[in-house]
Amino acid sequence: MMDLKRRYVIPGDVIATGQMRPEQNVYQDGDRMISTCVGISEVFENAVRVIPLTGVYVPKTNDLVIGKVIGTSPLSWEFDINSCFIGFLPAQDVFGRDYSPTKDELRQRLNIGDLVAARVANFDRSRDPLLTVQDRDLGRIDSGELIEIAPSKVPRLIGKRGSMIQTIEMATRAMITIGQNGWVVVSCEDSEGLLKAVEAVKMVDALAHTPNLTERVKSMLGVPEGDNNDTTND
Amino acid sequence: MTDDGIRCDGRRVDQLRNITIKAGVLKNADGSAYIEFGKNKILAGVFGPRDVHPKHMANQDTGILRCRYHMSPFSVTERKNPAPSRREIEISKVLKEALQPALILKDFPRTVVDVFVEVLQADGGSRCAALDAAAVALADAGIPMRDLVSACAAGKVEDRIVLDINNEEDQEGQADMPVAIMPNIGKVTLMQLDGILTPDEYKTCLQTAIGGCRSVYEIQRKALVEKYFEGGAH
Amino acid sequence: MGSAILDQLKLEKMSDLLKQGRRLDGRALDEQRELTIETGVIPKANGSARVRLGNTEVITGVKVQPDKPFPDLGDKGILICTAEILPLADPLVEPGPPTEEVIELARVVDRGIRETEMIDLHQLVLLENKSVVGIFIDSSVVDSAGNLFDACSYASVAAVLSSTIPKYEIKDEAPVLVEGVTSKPPVKTLPVSVTMARIGDQIVVDPSKEEEACMDARITITTNSDGNICALQKGGENGFTVDQLTRCSEIALSVGTKIRKRFEQLM
Repeated sequence: MMDLKRRYVIPGDVIATGQMRPEQNVYQDGDRMISTCVGISEVFENAVRVIPLTGVYVPKTNDLVIGKVIGTSPLSWEFDINSCFIGFLPAQDVFGRDYSPTKDELRQRLNIGDLVAARVANFDRSRDPLLTVQDRDLGRIDSGELIEIAPSKVPRLIGKRGSMIQTIEMATRAMITIGQNGWVVVSCEDSEGLLKAVEAVKMVDALAHTPNLTERVKSMLGVPEGDNNDTTND
Repeated sequence: MTDDGIRCDGRRVDQLRNITIKAGVLKNADGSAYIEFGKNKILAGVFGPRDVHPKHMANQDTGILRCRYHMSPFSVTERKNPAPSRREIEISKVLKEALQPALILKDFPRTVVDVFVEVLQADGGSRCAALDAAAVALADAGIPMRDLVSACAAGKVEDRIVLDINNEEDQEGQADMPVAIMPNIGKVTLMQLDGILTPDEYKTCLQTAIGGCRSVYEIQRKALVEKYFEGGAH
Repeated sequence: MGSAILDQLKLEKMSDLLKQGRRLDGRALDEQRELTIETGVIPKANGSARVRLGNTEVITGVKVQPDKPFPDLGDKGILICTAEILPLADPLVEPGPPTEEVIELARVVDRGIRETEMIDLHQLVLLENKSVVGIFIDSSVVDSAGNLFDACSYASVAAVLSSTIPKYEIKDEAPVLVEGVTSKPPVKTLPVSVTMARIGDQIVVDPSKEEEACMDARITITTNSDGNICALQKGGENGFTVDQLTRCSEIALSVGTKIRKRFEQLM
């Protein structure tokens, strides 16, 4: 799989021809592998994919997302999860099995406008995504600042084995929660650190496709060269 | 037209008007583009995939496409009533049907992609220019596409087949044929004709228009490359 | 998908900052966002302007054409001012008949220009009771990020100032265009609209979309070149005290003076 050829592509561009497997964002037209989005194509020995540079968030089971409460029904909360689908969090997930709509008030636990870190418990074509907060580090977010980045840039913000996000967290002492849906919450005791961390996240969003990004972020944060044990090749 | 084929605006018979396209010009839209095609000035904005309102329009199996073509009151010589005319409603429909074949919306059931086109200043051929901008805006929004859609008209003026007829030629001319293609897949997705052509002229006219579409395609590509592969790097 | 609901963290931060007299985007309470004005953007119109106020963007075109006067106003030309939020300007706007918000927007912009008597409509009469010149000012919001009132108003005024009025002559009681002769529009005064929002006890000028989402009340005050208040519209689900209204009028006059200087450069 090492035979990796990268190229900038737009929808309709033929990436390769022949017997290959079309993976993400690739459409097969006869023996032609065609990109379906603006992005960077990668050709492996027998597969082709395109890493998108734009596009909406499509939920996947097990994704960590950040959602905003936009409404309630008697049995669940409705979340804006920055997607074309509304996220549902069942009342039982928070209140437990003996939840009763007649005595429990959903809005006392989570109110309109509240931000929540949640996981996608289930999602398929036939139903809207089902969320859960039953895990450590999930639930309402009480402090920090929400930043919206392009969902397509999330992998870049995390970096290889978390290198980018660790660099930012270490340099600023901030806590950063990254939703796969492109919503990121940055919190930090120190307001200077918060500003720096927010700036770094926005920088990754703006420059995601450029080379040497880790180095540029480090130099903006004032991290000395080579100070990170994980040297990623961008 | 002069004997050696120079037209009223100084162009040769096979020459396009000046075209510039810029991708990503609106902040609120998920994708957008601005095109100047001769004296046409047109904005296109794309939202989605997103929730469908009214609900009954939603399709459980796939996302749907909606398109609105609208002219500003000040876009034409006589002030135009802002309410949509029958002409605008028809153009909205043919634009939708020209874009639809390029889109892959099966992964977005129960959602809609909305394309809004605003003609700020109209010259001849505004539906083609609108389509060219809309295709770039859809790619900018990251909607999965099999191909771009590129449009251009050809026509018959003073018994000659000419590319990309302008407003004056449209008034005086004998035929106007707007055409859109998916340039890599090679399918025609929009075609209309007003006027009389012999079978031979018909073939020439179609080939001339397709040639124009291919030139337009290069300009569309340039707009996306500028935004994603050159523009973001500062 | 878009929703008009602000997240709780941002709301808390905004109200903390406001208590200290500061705003989310770092502006002073009486500071407008950056204003850029471009004219002549639609050559086919008789006058046009693109105005950006922060991230709000409006394109306005002026069309001038002969028309019949309104029955009871035979000694005046016609002035029609409209505004529209294009569906591409905002994820929450849907195509269709205008909503009450949009109708209010159009009427407030119209009132600011009409009530200040910016344009001397008496000079637009071709033949009394029969034929007059109509001036149509149509504004299209193309990017919506708060305070559409001022953005549309500034774009309308700038478009009028940049316009040229064609000359018409009456032949056999019908207006005939005289080719190649134009004049400047008969402008008497420069209206400046200033919109403010009350959030808690604070008055902020030129509210952003986020500030509008949590404001208690809104007011738009239009002043003329002589320093008079000519048009006003209160909006929002809450009210103002008399003291606050006095302060708003003072702010409208002082901010108005600055904007009027920008308009003067266009004349």
